[in-house]
Amino acid sequence: MPQLAFETFIPQLIWLAISFIALYLVMSRIALPRIGSVIEGRAARIASDLDEAAASKRRTDEAVAAYEKALAEARAKAHGIAQQTRDLLTAETDRQRHEIEAKLAEKIAAAEASIRKTKEAALANVRNVAIDVAGAIVTQLLGEDADKAATERAVDTALKQV
Amino acid sequence: MGVAFRLSTELVAGIFVGGAIGLGLDTWLGTKPLFLLIFFFLGVAAGILNVFRTAKQMTAEAERNAGNGKPGA
Amino acid sequence: MAAEEAASGAAHHGGGLAIDPMHQFRVETIFPIHFGNIDASFTNASLWMLIAAGLVTLLTIVGMGSRSLVPGRLQSVAELSYEFVSNMLRDNVGDAGKRFFPFVFTLFMFVLFCNMLGMMPYSFTVTSHIIVTFALASFIFIAVTILGFAVHGLHFFHFFVPKGVPVALLPLLVVIEVISYLTRPISLSVRLFANMMAGHTMLKVFAGFVIAMGWFGGFLPLAFMVAFTGLEILVAFLQAYVFAILTCIYLNDALHMH
Repeated sequence: MPQLAFETFIPQLIWLAISFIALYLVMSRIALPRIGSVIEGRAARIASDLDEAAASKRRTDEAVAAYEKALAEARAKAHGIAQQTRDLLTAETDRQRHEIEAKLAEKIAAAEASIRKTKEAALANVRNVAIDVAGAIVTQLLGEDADKAATERAVDTALKQV
Repeated sequence: MGVAFRLSTELVAGIFVGGAIGLGLDTWLGTKPLFLLIFFFLGVAAGILNVFRTAKQMTAEAERNAGNGKPGA
Repeated sequence: MAAEEAASGAAHHGGGLAIDPMHQFRVETIFPIHFGNIDASFTNASLWMLIAAGLVTLLTIVGMGSRSLVPGRLQSVAELSYEFVSNMLRDNVGDAGKRFFPFVFTLFMFVLFCNMLGMMPYSFTVTSHIIVTFALASFIFIAVTILGFAVHGLHFFHFFVPKGVPVALLPLLVVIEVISYLTRPISLSVRLFANMMAGHTMLKVFAGFVIAMGWFGGFLPLAFMVAFTGLEILVAFLQAYVFAILTCIYLNDALHMH
């Protein structure tokens, strides 16, 4: 069994020590810190990218919220303006209607006054005509001039019965 | 094959160490077969203890592997 | 080269099988170096140790050359091995094990590459020699023991005292525990060495069958060899992994003394 060839032990041990210690030194001094830093760098980069993504998401959410708020505000404002316009128009219409109604009422009152005046005038005329006609009829029938005062009284009495 | 081999190595190593200690003591104290015999049996005991521990550890490992499907981690 | 191997195998074996399955483990001097009485000759074992160390260096330094954020193939492999060992250490030892990461990483990669390189035809398997695995395991064992005493002082002796045992039995059990502790470097090194040696010997034996059984009968052992080579690659990885993880467990025992 070549494994038990004792004369090969010493050189094997010496070269094992040389190669293992050399490898250990290279690994611990150069290779492993390098790999470690690359892995850590990547982990840090991924973490920062994730943070950035989260921040972007937050900013997007904020923008969406702001947009929705602005939209709601605009809607409320539009609603307000419409309401205001509607109120304004209603008020104006009412005012104009009131004006026209007032004017019409005035005209009606004037017309009624003139009608009443005409009627009164007409009634006054009817009395005078009736007195004249009654005087004339009495004169014709009796052949003498009628008493003016008596006629007027009679006509007034008759007019009251109409 | 692996399991049986690992366990038998543990047992043989225990006997080997026990025998070596016994032989060393005998040559030192000149009590030729006495310590060799004593330590041979102590070595057997230590070997069995090792086998026991290794088996326990292997079971735990196997369970852990079955648990998370990760090779030996 | 195959002819050479066959010839020397036959010479060694004195006929019989065309290939000596143990020939592959022979350490041959490439050029002799001597320091006084000490033989430090450069052998094929030395060569393959340096190749393994060189390839690990190549992977971890040239592979990481670009240090890019999105890794290429080699960089992925380098990072994967880094994280594999790092996770192993964290799972088994915890944060206190971070100091030993370079050592465990070097150990795992060195053993893994030695095992894997041994799968190549005409190569030499460094880890199929008990002296190499035993040296590694002894170093780990001694270092871990010193670490245990450094961290816990004389309190580390409590590690050998089992809890909840009658006092009369205690001396006996302490001796058994100490023997059990002393078997660690042996079982650690024998496991790696024996796995590597057994697998390679099996492969060579079946390769001998392929040649011995000729063109018609050789296909069966050849098919077996193909399957077995796949298994051996798995074993090469698994043994490096077991070696490293047991080192982690020993480290944990020394640091935390459960």
